Formats: sequence, C-alpha cells, structure tokens
Amino acid sequence: MRWRRLIQGIAVAAVAMLFASACLSESGGGGGGGGDSEGGGGDKQIEIMYGFGGDQSKGFEQAMAAFEKSSGITIKFTDASQSFDTLIRPRVQGNNPPDIALFPQPGLMLDFAKQGKLQDLGGMVNLEQLKTTLVPGELDTGTLDGKTYGVPMSMNVKSLVWYPKKAFEAKGYKVPTTIAELEALTNQIKADGTTPWCVGIESAGATGWVGTDWIEEFVLRYGGPQKYDQWVKHEIPFTDPVVVQAGQEFDKLALADGQVFGGRKSVVSTNFGTSINPMFDDPPKCFLHRQGNFITQKGFMADKARANLDENVGVFQLPGVSATDKPVLGGGDLAGAFTNDDDVKKALEFMFTPDFKFPNMAASSYMSPHKTFDVSQYPDETTKKIAQGAYASTVFRFDGSDLMPGSVGAGSFWKGMTAWISGQRSLDETLKEIDESWPS
Amino acid sequence: MIRVINALLAIIGGVGAALLLYYVLNKLVEMLPQKWEERIKPWVFAGVALAAIGLFLIYPAVRTIILSFANATSTAWVGLENYTDLLTSRDFQITLGNTLLWIAVVPAVTVALGLAVATLADRLGPRGEKLTKSAIFLPLAISGVGAATIWRFIYEARPAGEPQIGLLNAVWTALGFDPVAWLTVDTLRFNSFLLMVVVIWGQVGFSMVLLSAAVKGVPVDTLEAARIDGANERQIFFKVTVPQIWGTVITVFITVLITVLKAFDIVFVMTNGNFNTDIIAVRFFNELFRNGDNGRAAAIVVMLMLAVIPVVAYQVRHFRAEEAAR
Repeated sequence: MRWRRLIQGIAVAAVAMLFASACLSESGGGGGGGGDSEGGGGDKQIEIMYGFGGDQSKGFEQAMAAFEKSSGITIKFTDASQSFDTLIRPRVQGNNPPDIALFPQPGLMLDFAKQGKLQDLGGMVNLEQLKTTLVPGELDTGTLDGKTYGVPMSMNVKSLVWYPKKAFEAKGYKVPTTIAELEALTNQIKADGTTPWCVGIESAGATGWVGTDWIEEFVLRYGGPQKYDQWVKHEIPFTDPVVVQAGQEFDKLALADGQVFGGRKSVVSTNFGTSINPMFDDPPKCFLHRQGNFITQKGFMADKARANLDENVGVFQLPGVSATDKPVLGGGDLAGAFTNDDDVKKALEFMFTPDFKFPNMAASSYMSPHKTFDVSQYPDETTKKIAQGAYASTVFRFDGSDLMPGSVGAGSFWKGMTAWISGQRSLDETLKEIDESWPS
Repeated sequence: MIRVINALLAIIGGVGAALLLYYVLNKLVEMLPQKWEERIKPWVFAGVALAAIGLFLIYPAVRTIILSFANATSTAWVGLENYTDLLTSRDFQITLGNTLLWIAVVPAVTVALGLAVATLADRLGPRGEKLTKSAIFLPLAISGVGAATIWRFIYEARPAGEPQIGLLNAVWTALGFDPVAWLTVDTLRFNSFLLMVVVIWGQVGFSMVLLSAAVKGVPVDTLEAARIDGANERQIFFKVTVPQIWGTVITVFITVLITVLKAFDIVFVMTNGNFNTDIIAVRFFNELFRNGDNGRAAAIVVMLMLAVIPVVAYQVRHFRAEEAAR
C-alpha cells in the first residue's frame, strides 16, 4: 500500500516536471533561432539586432518588410538603440546572440570576431563584387587577419562643418579650403563679436564621443592615413606627437576662451544633437558646427532650419592641411552574422545590394555606402552633396574610436575627452591615461 | 495570449512540482527508522532552500572571487594584477574616495533628517502631520532612474544667453549670476554632493516612517517624568527619546548604508561617472558591460563584498543583541 502510493506520487511528479520543462523549452526555442547550425537551411526565422533608434529604426524595419514579403522569412527586430554595446555583450556571452547584428561600432564587432563568435562572411556573400561598389576603405573596416566579419549597410559622413547659410553669406564669410583658412575664418567671426563654434559632447552614457571625432579628424589630417591607421591599431602610442598636435588644434580652434558658445565648461553639458541650434537664432550665436550628416535628423537640428535645408543650412567638408588634401572621416553600421544558414545569407545579400535604402530617406537621413548608389534618390541637395563628396573621396577612414577595442574606443577615450574638455585633466595626462588603458 | 497561458501553466506546473517534491521527499524520509527520520527531516525541508541559496548566491560569489584573478575574458590567470591595476589607477582611487564620501554622508544625513521630520511632525496637528509625512514619503515611490531624470532637469545648464530650462539655473540666473553646469563642478566634490542630494531626497521618507513609528512608541510617562524632573526639550530629546529608539536608528542607518554601497542608477543616469563623480557600482557596470573586462569587474565586486561584510556582521550582531534583550 505504502509503495503504491509512493510510486503514484513519483509518477505524478515526473509528469508535472515534464510539463513544466516542456513549457520552458517551447518559449526558449522561439527566441533562440538557428543556434550553431552551420550552413543549414534555416527555419524561416531570423533575429536582427541594431542600434539605430527613432526614424532610422522605422526606416530599417520598412526596408526589411519588403524582404520578409519576398522571401517568406520572418524577422524578429531587436532595437537596441538605448545602448547597443551594453545590450549585445551579455547576449553574446550568454550564448544567445541574434542571428545578425548591425554594429554601429566595429571595435566591438572585432572583439567578437577575435573571440571567434562571428561568422566569416567570405563564404556567405560575394565580397569581390561588394569591393567594386563600396566606398574604398569601407570593407577593410570589418576585416581581421584577412577574413571579413562585417560589411557596411549604411554610411555616415563625419567631416562636415555646418553653417547658417543666410547669415554666413550676409556677413561675407568664405568657405575655407585649408585648416589655416579655417583658423582665419574663426578669428574673423570672433573679431565680429560672435563666438565662432557651437560644440556639445553630452550624450548620456556615451558622453565624450564627439570629442573623439575631433581628435580623429586632426590626426587624419596632420598624420595622414598611414599614421592614422597605426594610431587606431595602437602601433604608435596615444601620446604620439601627432595626437598631441590634434588635441592642441581642437583646443585652439574650438575650445579656448571666446571660441565656443557658452564657454568650454558648457561643452560637456550641452547635448550633441541640439548643440548646433544656437546658430539658427537671430542673430546667430555661433557660425560653425562640426558634426556628421545625421545631425539633420528630426529632434536634432531645429525644425525651422530643417524646413528648408538647402536654403537655411550650408555645409562644407572640414578642410585639410592643403587645399588638395580632402580626407573624409565617416562611419556606418556593419552587418555581422552569428549564424550561418540560408535565411541569414539571404537577409545579408538583401542588405548589401547596392540600391538598398531605407524608404523614409528624408526622416532617417539614410546614406548608402555604395558609390554606385543613385544620388538623385537623396531627398535634398545638401545630402546629395555630402554623399557625392564621400563617394569621390580617395582617403576615406572609418571613425577611429569605433575601431579601437571597446574599453578604449567606447570607454577611456570617451571619458578622457570629457575629463579633458571639462578641465579635470590636462591633455598630456588624458592621453597618457588612455594609452595605459589599452588592453595588452 | 499563448505566452500568458504558457506562463500560467509554468507557474501552476512549477508550484505543483515543488509541492510534489516536498511531498515525495517527506514520504521517503518517513519510510526511514524513527531515529533517522527525526534527524534527517529538518534537512529535507531546509535543504532545498539551502541548495537554492548555494546555487544562486554562494556559487556565483565563489566564481566571482575566482574570476577576479583571471584576465578580461577569463581565459588565463593574472594573479593580483586586476587589484593592483585598479588600486594604482588614479581614476579608481577617485572612485573609491567618492564611495567613501557617500558612505560618510548619505546614511548620517538621511537618519538625521528623517529623525528631525519624525519628531517635528509629531508635534503638528493630525492633519498637518499626515500632509507633511505624505509629501516627504512621496519620493520613495519614484524609481531611481525616474528620480535621476527629474534631478537632471533641475541641474540642467544651458549656455548663457539661451533660455535656462533647469530649475536651479533659472533661479541662479534670475539672481543675476551666469549659468553654471552644476554637475561638472568638482571643486570639493561639489557635484558628488549634488548627486547625494537625490539619494537623500529619495531615502528620507523611508527613514522618517520607521523613526516616526519608533518616536511614537516611546512611552509618554518617561517623557513626563523627565519634564517633572526639570529637563528641557533638548535634554528630553537626546537623553530620553533617542536612547529608547536607538535600535531603530541603527537599523535605518545600516539599511541606507547598504543602499548607498549598491547605489548605481542615480550616478549612471546623471553623469555616468564623468566629472570625478564615479562610484564603485557604476565603475563595475562600465568595466563589465562597456569594457567587457570580466577580471576587473569581478575584482571590483570582491572589494565591494569585503566592504559590505563588516556592516552586515555588525547588523547581525546588533539584531541578535536586541533579540536577547527582549
């Protein structure tokens, strides 16, 4: 009698356990996707993780909706725009990565590639063909030891200086073609009684990245592409004279007393996205602002300026040392794959086609990384001009801080710039600390 | 919908399975001889909970200590390098200094303010007391991130000439001064104090509620006796009331202290540790999730654990002494 009851109990318990574990595995299976399957057929379901945010996220989802329809593959969109790098890391460490990730920072992507977590795209898409259409240099960004782990599916251009067109022309200012001319223009604006620059580097958890862009611009200009590449790979130290020179130039041009609206102290507490807007006041509070093409997005640039971009806003490429020297610093989102199956291949191929675009071109300020892209599709002359400039560039370099290891490029470099600009550290101390933080 | 059903099924199944597990274990033990049954039975019931604590608390803690001696990706041993690197870096020294400052200031101020409000509100009419206490209690209901966002707006600074949307700067500029980017002013750790204000603002309500209950529990005859003996109000407060509520004061102090040691959200949202305001939990987050450095992050946690142990030990002893006195 006793035994029978016991066996009954165990049997019921076993059924209950099975029941519970069945539930769990069911809900787990949906999210897990293809897992580690190599080159399998796929299950018509993929997860894509990206960090666009706002209208860009919407644009991406719209673009991929067409793909879902034609291929029958369902895409799970994971918008990690709040903090892409801190959200994807635990997913990868926990062996639960998305199938495809669109990395805004290739440094993080290369970290994963080094750990062997990413698929070699060489066997998945036609790299040779991509090489012929992509802006030169874009493909090298996602390449490590001869293997390509990430291919850009969007582009942004950073070396841009914006100005309030009407007021700028009314004052008789001329677009500079060399750094020396830019300095002269800055002095002229200052002499006319206006602070020349608007600079803001506040960006919540990412505060400081705008400062790193400035340093990169000048390292690329003073050191040239080779020195720049060495610096990004830490083959020359962070304290190298060319980096010091870049910092000093940034300081002299746009941080020193009277050079920046609100003064040096307010640079660190002014949001990067809206910091351009005092130039659209009447009279303008500043005339120059260096920022990437994405600044024209809604929510960043003031609506009154965006209303007629071509008429209100002027833009020129940040000049080089000489008038013929026109390097371009840029960025983009690199698509990398954690899974290798037919579904993922199809999705990647779709994103890498040279005429891929976000349907809401104006709202998302999408720019194609393919130089063969039909520029007449850009919503305004300003964007067209920026894109053409980048497509025609001979020296195109990816944002250096995005290429450095995460702990530098998204850590000590950001924090160092913030501490230096706010006056908590000297330039030399800052560069020394960043150099020491480089992982060995 | 399927998810909801699935979740419900999982809950029912899980709870049922747990019940059955205990039932079956109990039956098994009952089959043993009387002597062994009595010996083993308590362990059967406590054992499951112990196993859960072991799995979810002790095992990770031990792993963390072990990994603090390994490199960023936990693939090779580096000895004490994580500790020496951290302790010799100026950045981390500032972080530690700030954490100590938080420990020194926040619990003491929270208790003092809470006690002051509790005592003073006690003297108001019932309606006034209710109103004051509700108002002071309210911030406790706001999440840390919410509170930080609210206070970011209070401290918000715009360059001179732009309209100031931050409350503090609006007042400040109305008085004729130039706007100040408050959170970047690190002279004498001023910005750290501004961040502490937010935590204190949130925690005073908690401190007030507990202390108010304790103050109300002080027997009136002891106060009257002191009054008859000619003691003034200050003497009554410090020599009669406070000693009688000392146990509650310690409890509140330690609870707030532990909150401070774990404080993360306020600093993360408001400055992310920039401008020399970093504290240990934010630093840990950045090392682990931004820099992906398992070793250093583990080393920071171990240091934090070491710092918490004496506090917890004191609390346990204090608790035991109180129990014994009862």
